[in-house]
Amino acid sequence: MAKTTENILPSGEKEHVTLHVNGEDISLLIEAHWTLSKVLRNGCSLTGTKEACDAGACGACTVLIDGIARPACMLLAREQVGKKIETIEGLEKNGQLHPIQEAWLEEYGAQCGFCSPGFIMTTKALLAKNPNPNDDEIKEALGGNLCLCDNYEHIILAVKSAAKKIAKGGK
Amino acid sequence: MKRFTHINATSAEHAVSCLQEYKDSSYVIAGGSDLLGCLKDNLWMQTPEAIVNLKTIEGLSYIKEEGSTLHIGALTTLTEVAESSIVKKLAPALAEAARRTASPLLRNMGTLGGNICQENRCWYYRYPSKLGGRIDCVRKGGTKCFAVIGEHRYHSIFGAVNKCIAVNPSDTAPALIALNATIKTTKRTIAIDEFFSAAHGAGSTILDRDEIVLEILVPVAAKSAVSAFKKIAFRKSIDFALVTCAIALEKDADKITAVRICLNGVYNNPMRSQEAEEFLLGKVLTEDIAKEAGEIALQNAKSLFQNIYKVQLAKTLVADTLLSL
Repeated sequence: MAKTTENILPSGEKEHVTLHVNGEDISLLIEAHWTLSKVLRNGCSLTGTKEACDAGACGACTVLIDGIARPACMLLAREQVGKKIETIEGLEKNGQLHPIQEAWLEEYGAQCGFCSPGFIMTTKALLAKNPNPNDDEIKEALGGNLCLCDNYEHIILAVKSAAKKIAKGGK
Repeated sequence: MKRFTHINATSAEHAVSCLQEYKDSSYVIAGGSDLLGCLKDNLWMQTPEAIVNLKTIEGLSYIKEEGSTLHIGALTTLTEVAESSIVKKLAPALAEAARRTASPLLRNMGTLGGNICQENRCWYYRYPSKLGGRIDCVRKGGTKCFAVIGEHRYHSIFGAVNKCIAVNPSDTAPALIALNATIKTTKRTIAIDEFFSAAHGAGSTILDRDEIVLEILVPVAAKSAVSAFKKIAFRKSIDFALVTCAIALEKDADKITAVRICLNGVYNNPMRSQEAEEFLLGKVLTEDIAKEAGEIALQNAKSLFQNIYKVQLAKTLVADTLLSL
Protein backbone atom coordinates (compact mmCIF):
# COMPACT_ATOMS: atom_id res chain seq x y z
CA MET A 1 0.00 0.00 0.00
CA ALA A 2 1.27 3.45 -0.88
CA LYS A 3 2.51 5.64 1.91
CA THR A 4 0.79 8.95 2.27
CA THR A 5 2.72 11.91 3.54
CA GLU A 6 -0.04 12.97 5.96
CA ASN A 7 0.27 9.72 7.83
CA ILE A 8 3.98 9.90 8.48
CA LEU A 9 5.96 12.25 10.69
CA PRO A 10 9.68 11.58 10.19
CA SER A 11 12.03 11.51 13.14
CA GLY A 12 13.38 14.94 14.05
CA GLU A 13 10.83 16.85 11.99
CA LYS A 14 8.03 18.98 13.37
CA GLU A 15 4.42 19.00 12.32
CA HIS A 16 1.60 21.55 12.69
CA VAL A 17 -1.31 20.03 14.57
CA THR A 18 -4.45 21.35 16.20
CA LEU A 19 -5.35 19.95 19.59
CA HIS A 20 -8.82 20.47 20.96
CA VAL A 21 -8.16 21.34 24.60
CA ASN A 22 -10.87 22.49 27.02
CA GLY A 23 -13.16 23.57 24.19
CA GLU A 24 -10.50 25.57 22.37
CA ASP A 25 -8.50 24.68 19.30
CA ILE A 26 -4.80 25.15 19.96
CA SER A 27 -2.32 25.14 17.06
CA LEU A 28 1.04 23.65 17.89
CA LEU A 29 4.29 22.47 16.36
CA ILE A 30 5.05 19.03 17.68
CA GLU A 31 7.53 16.20 17.22
CA ALA A 32 6.55 12.56 16.95
CA HIS A 33 7.97 11.48 20.32
CA TRP A 34 6.40 14.26 22.43
CA THR A 35 3.94 13.06 25.02
CA LEU A 36 0.64 14.82 25.63
CA SER A 37 1.63 15.86 29.15
CA LYS A 38 4.81 17.56 27.85
CA VAL A 39 2.87 19.34 25.11
CA LEU A 40 0.12 20.47 27.50
CA ARG A 41 2.65 21.81 29.99
CA ASN A 42 5.26 23.27 27.64
CA GLY A 43 3.26 24.03 24.50
CA CYS A 44 -0.13 25.04 25.88
CA SER A 45 1.11 26.44 29.23
CA LEU A 46 -1.45 24.26 30.99
CA THR A 47 0.70 23.28 33.93
CA GLY A 48 -2.19 21.99 36.03
CA THR A 49 -1.49 18.58 34.55
CA LYS A 50 1.39 17.29 36.67
CA GLU A 51 4.17 14.92 35.71
CA ALA A 52 5.55 12.67 38.42
CA CYS A 53 6.32 9.03 37.65
CA ASP A 54 6.36 9.37 33.83
CA ALA A 55 5.23 5.76 33.63
CA GLY A 56 1.44 5.94 33.95
CA ALA A 57 1.56 4.54 37.47
CA CYS A 58 0.77 7.58 39.63
CA GLY A 59 -2.14 9.30 37.85
CA ALA A 60 -0.87 12.86 38.50
CA CYS A 61 -1.09 13.62 34.76
CA THR A 62 -4.64 12.30 34.31
CA VAL A 63 -6.64 14.09 31.62
CA LEU A 64 -9.93 13.22 29.97
CA ILE A 65 -9.71 12.11 26.34
CA ASP A 66 -13.22 12.04 24.89
CA GLY A 67 -14.46 11.72 28.47
CA ILE A 68 -12.21 8.79 29.41
CA ALA A 69 -9.56 9.30 32.12
CA ARG A 70 -6.08 8.47 30.83
CA PRO A 71 -2.52 9.30 31.97
CA ALA A 72 -1.24 12.03 29.62
CA CYS A 73 2.40 11.02 30.10
CA MET A 74 1.73 7.73 28.32
CA LEU A 75 -0.05 9.25 25.33
CA LEU A 76 1.68 10.60 22.26
CA ALA A 77 0.46 14.11 21.46
CA ARG A 78 0.27 13.33 17.75
CA GLU A 79 -2.24 10.56 18.41
CA GLN A 80 -4.65 12.91 20.21
CA VAL A 81 -5.46 15.06 17.17
CA GLY A 82 -9.22 15.24 16.65
CA LYS A 83 -10.03 14.18 20.20
CA LYS A 84 -11.62 16.22 22.96
CA ILE A 85 -8.97 16.80 25.61
CA GLU A 86 -10.04 18.08 29.00
CA THR A 87 -7.60 19.20 31.69
CA ILE A 88 -8.04 20.60 35.20
CA GLU A 89 -7.95 24.15 33.77
CA GLY A 90 -11.16 23.46 31.84
CA LEU A 91 -13.27 22.81 34.92
CA GLU A 92 -13.61 26.38 36.21
CA LYS A 93 -16.23 28.33 34.29
CA ASN A 94 -16.49 32.16 34.53
CA GLY A 95 -14.65 32.30 37.84
CA GLN A 96 -16.93 29.63 39.26
CA LEU A 97 -15.25 26.46 40.49
CA HIS A 98 -16.55 23.09 39.36
CA PRO A 99 -18.54 21.28 42.10
CA ILE A 100 -15.77 18.66 42.35
CA GLN A 101 -13.21 21.41 42.97
CA GLU A 102 -15.51 23.01 45.58
CA ALA A 103 -15.94 19.64 47.28
CA TRP A 104 -12.16 19.21 47.28
CA LEU A 105 -11.75 22.53 49.10
CA GLU A 106 -14.52 21.89 51.60
CA GLU A 107 -13.49 18.35 52.47
CA TYR A 108 -9.73 19.05 52.52
CA GLY A 109 -9.19 16.78 49.53
CA ALA A 110 -5.77 18.35 48.99
CA GLN A 111 -2.84 18.45 51.39
CA CYS A 112 0.17 19.36 49.26
CA GLY A 113 -2.19 19.37 46.28
CA PHE A 114 0.15 17.83 43.72
CA CYS A 115 -2.07 14.83 43.05
CA SER A 116 -5.35 16.79 43.12
CA PRO A 117 -5.62 17.66 39.38
CA GLY A 118 -5.28 13.98 38.53
CA PHE A 119 -7.70 12.86 41.23
CA ILE A 120 -10.26 15.49 40.24
CA MET A 121 -10.14 14.53 36.55
CA THR A 122 -10.52 10.84 37.42
CA THR A 123 -13.42 11.76 39.73
CA LYS A 124 -15.08 13.69 36.92
CA ALA A 125 -14.96 10.62 34.67
CA LEU A 126 -16.22 8.43 37.50
CA LEU A 127 -19.19 10.65 38.35
CA ALA A 128 -20.16 10.97 34.70
CA LYS A 129 -20.42 7.20 34.55
CA ASN A 130 -21.70 6.51 38.04
CA PRO A 131 -23.36 9.56 39.66
CA ASN A 132 -23.68 7.94 43.08
CA PRO A 133 -20.70 5.68 43.77
CA ASN A 134 -20.21 3.84 47.07
CA ASP A 135 -16.88 3.62 48.92
CA ASP A 136 -15.72 0.49 47.11
CA GLU A 137 -16.58 1.88 43.70
CA ILE A 138 -14.71 5.09 44.50
CA LYS A 139 -11.66 3.17 45.70
CA GLU A 140 -11.67 1.02 42.59
CA ALA A 141 -12.10 3.96 40.21
CA LEU A 142 -9.35 6.01 41.89
CA GLY A 143 -7.00 3.01 42.09
CA GLY A 144 -4.71 4.48 39.44
CA ASN A 145 -4.11 7.75 41.34
CA LEU A 146 -1.60 7.96 44.13
CA CYS A 147 -1.48 10.52 46.96
CA LEU A 148 1.83 10.61 48.78
CA CYS A 149 0.33 12.67 51.62
CA ASP A 150 -1.90 9.63 52.25
CA ASN A 151 -4.98 11.86 52.19
CA TYR A 152 -7.25 9.12 50.87
CA GLU A 153 -9.93 9.37 53.59
CA HIS A 154 -10.54 13.02 52.74
CA ILE A 155 -10.40 12.34 49.02
CA ILE A 156 -13.16 9.73 49.34
CA LEU A 157 -15.25 12.20 51.37
CA ALA A 158 -14.64 14.85 48.72
CA VAL A 159 -15.79 12.53 45.93
CA LYS A 160 -19.00 11.74 47.83
CA SER A 161 -19.62 15.40 48.55
CA ALA A 162 -19.02 16.22 44.88
CA ALA A 163 -21.53 13.55 43.86
CA LYS A 164 -24.13 15.18 46.12
CA LYS A 165 -23.38 18.66 44.78
CA ILE A 166 -23.72 17.50 41.18
CA ALA A 167 -26.98 15.66 41.99
CA LYS A 168 -28.32 18.91 43.47
CA GLY A 169 -27.83 20.64 40.16
CA GLY A 170 -24.23 21.79 39.96
CA LYS A 171 -22.45 20.98 36.75
CA MET B 1 12.38 9.37 24.95
CA LYS B 2 14.57 9.28 21.85
CA ARG B 3 13.23 10.50 18.52
CA PHE B 4 11.37 8.17 16.19
CA THR B 5 9.33 8.33 13.01
CA HIS B 6 5.61 8.09 13.66
CA ILE B 7 3.24 6.56 11.14
CA ASN B 8 -0.54 6.52 11.41
CA ALA B 9 -1.48 3.25 9.74
CA THR B 10 -4.52 3.38 7.46
CA SER B 11 -5.12 -0.36 7.36
CA ALA B 12 -3.66 -3.57 8.76
CA GLU B 13 -1.90 -4.16 5.41
CA HIS B 14 -0.41 -0.67 5.56
CA ALA B 15 0.86 -1.33 9.10
CA VAL B 16 2.44 -4.62 8.01
CA SER B 17 4.11 -2.94 5.00
CA CYS B 18 5.56 -0.29 7.36
CA LEU B 19 6.91 -3.00 9.67
CA GLN B 20 8.49 -4.74 6.67
CA GLU B 21 10.02 -1.51 5.44
CA TYR B 22 11.68 -0.68 8.76
CA LYS B 23 12.35 -4.35 9.62
CA ASP B 24 13.71 -4.91 13.13
CA SER B 25 13.69 -1.21 13.89
CA SER B 26 9.95 -0.72 14.17
CA TYR B 27 7.23 -1.40 16.67
CA VAL B 28 3.48 -1.05 16.60
CA ILE B 29 1.68 1.08 19.16
CA ALA B 30 -1.87 0.37 20.28
CA GLY B 31 -2.60 1.54 23.83
CA GLY B 32 1.07 2.41 24.29
CA SER B 33 1.25 1.85 28.05
CA ASP B 34 3.87 -0.87 27.58
CA LEU B 35 5.64 0.47 24.50
CA LEU B 36 6.15 4.03 25.78
CA GLY B 37 7.52 2.61 29.04
CA CYS B 38 10.04 0.57 27.04
CA LEU B 39 11.00 3.59 24.93
CA LYS B 40 11.35 5.90 27.93
CA ASP B 41 13.62 3.39 29.66
CA ASN B 42 15.58 2.92 26.42
CA LEU B 43 15.12 -0.78 26.86
CA TRP B 44 16.19 -2.29 23.58
CA MET B 45 19.71 -2.59 22.20
CA GLN B 46 18.64 -0.69 19.13
CA THR B 47 16.35 2.34 19.48
CA PRO B 48 13.42 1.79 17.11
CA GLU B 49 13.35 4.04 14.06
CA ALA B 50 9.62 3.88 13.48
CA ILE B 51 6.48 3.52 15.55
CA VAL B 52 3.35 2.45 13.69
CA ASN B 53 0.08 3.63 15.21
CA LEU B 54 -2.67 1.02 14.96
CA LYS B 55 -5.37 3.20 16.53
CA THR B 56 -6.01 4.92 13.21
CA ILE B 57 -7.10 1.60 11.66
CA GLU B 58 -10.86 1.37 11.69
CA GLY B 59 -12.74 -1.63 12.94
CA LEU B 60 -10.27 -3.25 15.32
CA SER B 61 -12.21 -2.49 18.49
CA TYR B 62 -15.35 -4.54 19.06
CA ILE B 63 -16.88 -7.30 21.15
CA LYS B 64 -19.47 -9.49 19.48
CA GLU B 65 -20.93 -12.95 19.70
CA GLU B 66 -21.18 -14.78 16.40
CA GLY B 67 -22.37 -18.36 16.31
CA SER B 68 -20.61 -20.15 19.12
CA THR B 69 -17.62 -17.80 19.26
CA LEU B 70 -16.92 -14.57 21.08
CA HIS B 71 -14.99 -12.18 18.81
CA ILE B 72 -12.91 -9.48 20.46
CA GLY B 73 -10.98 -6.96 18.36
CA ALA B 74 -7.32 -6.61 19.30
CA LEU B 75 -7.69 -2.88 20.00
CA THR B 76 -10.58 -3.29 22.44
CA THR B 77 -9.45 -1.69 25.68
CA LEU B 78 -9.23 -3.73 28.87
CA THR B 79 -11.94 -1.53 30.44
CA GLU B 80 -14.28 -2.40 27.57
CA VAL B 81 -13.49 -6.11 27.99
CA ALA B 82 -13.96 -5.95 31.77
CA GLU B 83 -17.27 -4.07 31.59
CA SER B 84 -18.80 -5.86 28.62
CA SER B 85 -21.94 -7.73 29.58
CA ILE B 86 -21.30 -10.28 26.81
CA VAL B 87 -17.80 -11.09 28.11
CA LYS B 88 -19.03 -11.20 31.70
CA LYS B 89 -21.72 -13.70 30.71
CA LEU B 90 -19.80 -15.89 28.26
CA ALA B 91 -16.22 -15.66 29.55
CA PRO B 92 -16.26 -14.50 33.18
CA ALA B 93 -12.62 -15.47 33.70
CA LEU B 94 -11.56 -13.08 30.93
CA ALA B 95 -13.72 -10.21 32.22
CA GLU B 96 -12.28 -10.65 35.72
CA ALA B 97 -8.70 -10.89 34.40
CA ALA B 98 -9.16 -7.68 32.44
CA ARG B 99 -10.68 -6.00 35.50
CA ARG B 100 -7.69 -6.94 37.65
CA THR B 101 -5.04 -5.77 35.16
CA ALA B 102 -3.03 -2.67 36.10
CA SER B 103 -4.95 0.45 37.21
CA PRO B 104 -8.23 1.90 35.88
CA LEU B 105 -6.35 4.63 34.00
CA LEU B 106 -4.08 2.13 32.27
CA ARG B 107 -7.01 -0.16 31.52
CA ASN B 108 -8.64 2.78 29.75
CA MET B 109 -5.77 2.80 27.25
CA GLY B 110 -4.30 -0.71 27.36
CA THR B 111 -5.72 -3.11 24.78
CA LEU B 112 -6.38 -6.84 24.92
CA GLY B 113 -4.07 -7.46 21.96
CA GLY B 114 -1.33 -5.44 23.64
CA ASN B 115 -1.82 -7.16 26.96
CA ILE B 116 -0.95 -10.57 25.54
CA CYS B 117 2.01 -9.21 23.52
CA GLN B 118 3.64 -7.11 26.25
CA GLU B 119 7.30 -7.19 27.18
CA ASN B 120 8.18 -8.87 30.43
CA ARG B 121 8.65 -6.90 33.62
CA CYS B 122 11.84 -8.35 35.07
CA TRP B 123 13.50 -5.50 36.94
CA TYR B 124 16.93 -6.30 35.50
CA TYR B 125 15.57 -6.42 31.95
CA ARG B 126 13.54 -3.22 32.44
CA TYR B 127 16.27 -1.41 34.36
CA PRO B 128 16.19 2.20 33.07
CA SER B 129 19.33 3.19 31.19
CA LYS B 130 19.26 6.67 32.77
CA LEU B 131 20.11 5.27 36.19
CA GLY B 132 23.74 4.24 35.78
CA GLY B 133 23.38 2.50 32.44
CA ARG B 134 21.48 -0.41 31.09
CA ILE B 135 21.89 -3.91 32.48
CA ASP B 136 22.65 -6.20 29.56
CA CYS B 137 21.07 -9.41 30.73
CA VAL B 138 20.79 -12.64 28.78
CA ARG B 139 17.46 -11.55 27.33
CA LYS B 140 19.11 -8.51 25.78
CA GLY B 141 21.96 -10.52 24.30
CA GLY B 142 24.21 -10.60 27.37
CA THR B 143 25.70 -13.73 28.87
CA LYS B 144 23.90 -14.19 32.16
CA CYS B 145 20.66 -13.68 34.02
CA PHE B 146 21.25 -11.25 36.88
CA ALA B 147 18.08 -12.33 38.65
CA VAL B 148 19.38 -15.85 39.37
CA ILE B 149 22.24 -14.52 41.47
CA GLY B 150 20.43 -11.33 42.48
CA GLU B 151 16.91 -10.36 43.51
CA HIS B 152 14.45 -12.92 42.19
CA ARG B 153 11.56 -12.80 44.63
CA TYR B 154 9.05 -12.24 41.80
CA HIS B 155 10.68 -14.56 39.27
CA SER B 156 10.03 -18.00 37.84
CA ILE B 157 9.43 -21.00 40.09
CA PHE B 158 9.60 -23.47 37.21
CA GLY B 159 13.14 -22.83 36.02
CA ALA B 160 14.51 -20.83 33.10
CA VAL B 161 14.04 -20.48 29.36
CA ASN B 162 17.35 -19.70 27.63
CA LYS B 163 18.83 -18.91 31.09
CA CYS B 164 16.18 -16.17 31.70
CA ILE B 165 13.90 -16.54 34.72
CA ALA B 166 11.56 -13.57 34.08
CA VAL B 167 7.85 -14.34 34.24
CA ASN B 168 5.12 -13.54 31.75
CA PRO B 169 3.32 -10.44 33.12
CA SER B 170 -0.02 -10.74 31.32
CA ASP B 171 -3.17 -11.23 33.41
CA THR B 172 -5.46 -11.91 30.48
CA ALA B 173 -3.13 -14.60 29.06
CA PRO B 174 -4.01 -17.32 31.63
CA ALA B 175 -7.71 -16.53 31.25
CA LEU B 176 -7.49 -16.87 27.46
CA ILE B 177 -5.57 -20.14 27.82
CA ALA B 178 -8.11 -21.56 30.27
CA LEU B 179 -10.89 -20.55 27.86
CA ASN B 180 -8.99 -22.14 24.94
CA ALA B 181 -8.98 -19.00 22.81
CA THR B 182 -7.57 -18.59 19.32
CA ILE B 183 -5.53 -15.63 18.11
CA LYS B 184 -6.07 -14.28 14.62
CA THR B 185 -3.15 -12.32 13.18
CA THR B 186 -2.39 -10.71 9.84
CA LYS B 187 -0.74 -13.97 8.75
CA ARG B 188 -2.45 -16.90 10.41
CA THR B 189 -4.65 -18.24 13.15
CA ILE B 190 -2.82 -19.50 16.22
CA ALA B 191 -4.13 -21.71 19.02
CA ILE B 192 -3.48 -19.96 22.33
CA ASP B 193 -1.51 -22.95 23.66
CA GLU B 194 1.12 -22.30 20.99
CA PHE B 195 0.98 -18.50 21.09
CA PHE B 196 3.33 -17.80 24.00
CA SER B 197 6.99 -18.62 23.56
CA ALA B 198 9.58 -16.87 25.69
CA ALA B 199 12.32 -18.60 23.68
CA HIS B 200 11.26 -16.51 20.69
CA GLY B 201 12.33 -13.22 22.30
CA ALA B 202 10.58 -9.86 22.44
CA GLY B 203 6.99 -9.92 23.58
CA SER B 204 7.37 -13.60 24.52
CA THR B 205 5.10 -14.71 21.69
CA ILE B 206 5.73 -16.66 18.48
CA LEU B 207 4.69 -13.66 16.38
CA ASP B 208 7.00 -12.61 13.56
CA ARG B 209 8.27 -9.03 13.49
CA ASP B 210 5.84 -8.11 10.73
CA GLU B 211 2.84 -9.82 12.24
CA ILE B 212 0.02 -8.06 14.10
CA VAL B 213 -2.70 -9.54 16.30
CA LEU B 214 -6.09 -8.63 14.82
CA GLU B 215 -8.65 -10.56 16.80
CA ILE B 216 -9.05 -12.81 19.81
CA LEU B 217 -11.59 -15.59 19.43
CA VAL B 218 -13.02 -17.25 22.52
CA PRO B 219 -15.19 -20.33 22.01
CA VAL B 220 -18.49 -20.09 23.84
CA ALA B 221 -18.59 -23.21 25.95
CA ALA B 222 -21.59 -25.36 26.85
CA LYS B 223 -24.13 -23.99 29.33
CA SER B 224 -22.75 -26.15 32.14
CA ALA B 225 -19.31 -24.58 31.69
CA VAL B 226 -17.98 -22.10 34.22
CA SER B 227 -14.75 -20.16 34.48
CA ALA B 228 -12.95 -18.09 37.08
CA PHE B 229 -9.81 -16.02 37.47
CA LYS B 230 -7.92 -15.10 40.62
CA LYS B 231 -4.88 -12.94 41.11
CA ILE B 232 -2.54 -12.36 44.01
CA ALA B 233 -0.61 -9.09 44.00
CA PHE B 234 0.64 -6.83 46.76
CA ARG B 235 -1.78 -4.03 45.94
CA LYS B 236 -5.21 -4.60 44.44
CA SER B 237 -4.60 -2.30 41.52
CA ILE B 238 -1.47 -1.33 39.62
CA ASP B 239 0.79 -4.17 40.72
CA PHE B 240 1.77 -6.98 38.44
CA ALA B 241 0.72 -10.36 39.71
CA LEU B 242 2.74 -12.59 42.00
CA VAL B 243 0.61 -15.49 40.85
CA THR B 244 -2.58 -15.65 38.79
CA CYS B 245 -4.76 -18.65 38.12
CA ALA B 246 -7.55 -19.12 35.60
CA ILE B 247 -9.71 -22.21 35.37
CA ALA B 248 -12.48 -23.19 32.96
CA LEU B 249 -14.51 -26.22 33.88
CA GLU B 250 -17.44 -28.29 32.67
CA LYS B 251 -19.47 -30.54 34.93
CA ASP B 252 -21.94 -33.32 34.32
CA ALA B 253 -23.96 -34.33 37.39
CA ASP B 254 -21.28 -32.84 39.66
CA LYS B 255 -18.49 -34.80 37.96
CA ILE B 256 -15.89 -32.78 36.12
CA THR B 257 -15.94 -33.67 32.43
CA ALA B 258 -13.54 -31.07 31.06
CA VAL B 259 -11.12 -28.69 32.71
CA ARG B 260 -8.32 -26.32 31.73
CA ILE B 261 -6.09 -24.81 34.40
CA CYS B 262 -3.55 -22.09 33.70
CA LEU B 263 -1.16 -20.35 36.07
CA ASN B 264 0.77 -17.19 35.27
CA GLY B 265 3.47 -15.28 37.07
CA VAL B 266 5.22 -18.57 37.77
CA TYR B 267 7.21 -19.18 34.57
CA ASN B 268 8.44 -17.46 31.40
CA ASN B 269 5.28 -18.54 29.63
CA PRO B 270 1.79 -18.87 31.09
CA MET B 271 1.74 -22.39 32.42
CA ARG B 272 -1.01 -24.94 31.86
CA SER B 273 -1.10 -27.68 34.41
CA GLN B 274 -2.07 -30.78 32.49
CA GLU B 275 -1.29 -33.14 35.40
CA ALA B 276 -3.79 -31.35 37.62
CA GLU B 277 -6.34 -31.32 34.79
CA GLU B 278 -6.01 -35.09 34.31
CA PHE B 279 -6.30 -35.63 38.04
CA LEU B 280 -9.55 -33.66 38.21
CA LEU B 281 -11.34 -35.40 35.33
CA GLY B 282 -14.24 -37.53 36.53
CA LYS B 283 -13.92 -36.30 40.11
CA VAL B 284 -16.48 -34.48 42.23
CA LEU B 285 -15.07 -31.17 43.41
CA THR B 286 -14.48 -31.05 47.17
CA GLU B 287 -12.08 -29.11 49.32
CA ASP B 288 -9.66 -32.04 49.59
CA ILE B 289 -9.70 -32.68 45.85
CA ALA B 290 -9.09 -28.97 45.16
CA LYS B 291 -6.14 -28.91 47.56
CA GLU B 292 -4.67 -32.02 45.99
CA ALA B 293 -5.05 -30.48 42.53
CA GLY B 294 -3.04 -27.52 43.82
CA GLU B 295 -0.30 -29.84 45.09
CA ILE B 296 -0.18 -31.68 41.76
CA ALA B 297 -0.04 -28.45 39.75
CA LEU B 298 3.05 -27.39 41.67
CA GLN B 299 4.76 -30.78 42.09
CA ASN B 300 7.47 -29.95 39.55
CA ALA B 301 8.21 -26.48 40.94
CA LYS B 302 11.89 -25.57 41.19
CA SER B 303 11.89 -22.40 43.24
CA LEU B 304 14.95 -20.36 44.05
CA PHE B 305 15.63 -19.33 47.62
CA GLN B 306 13.85 -15.94 47.56
CA ASN B 307 10.71 -17.04 45.74
CA ILE B 308 9.84 -20.28 47.50
CA TYR B 309 6.78 -18.50 48.96
CA LYS B 310 5.27 -18.35 45.48
CA VAL B 311 4.96 -22.15 45.43
CA GLN B 312 2.65 -22.04 48.43
CA LEU B 313 0.75 -19.06 46.99
CA ALA B 314 0.20 -20.88 43.71
CA LYS B 315 -0.96 -24.12 45.38
CA THR B 316 -3.49 -22.22 47.45
CA LEU B 317 -4.61 -20.13 44.51
CA VAL B 318 -5.35 -23.21 42.38
CA ALA B 319 -7.45 -24.66 45.21
CA ASP B 320 -9.21 -21.33 45.86
CA THR B 321 -10.04 -20.79 42.20
CA LEU B 322 -11.39 -24.33 41.89
CA LEU B 323 -13.56 -23.90 44.96
CA SER B 324 -14.94 -20.59 43.69
CA LEU B 325 -16.46 -22.41 40.69
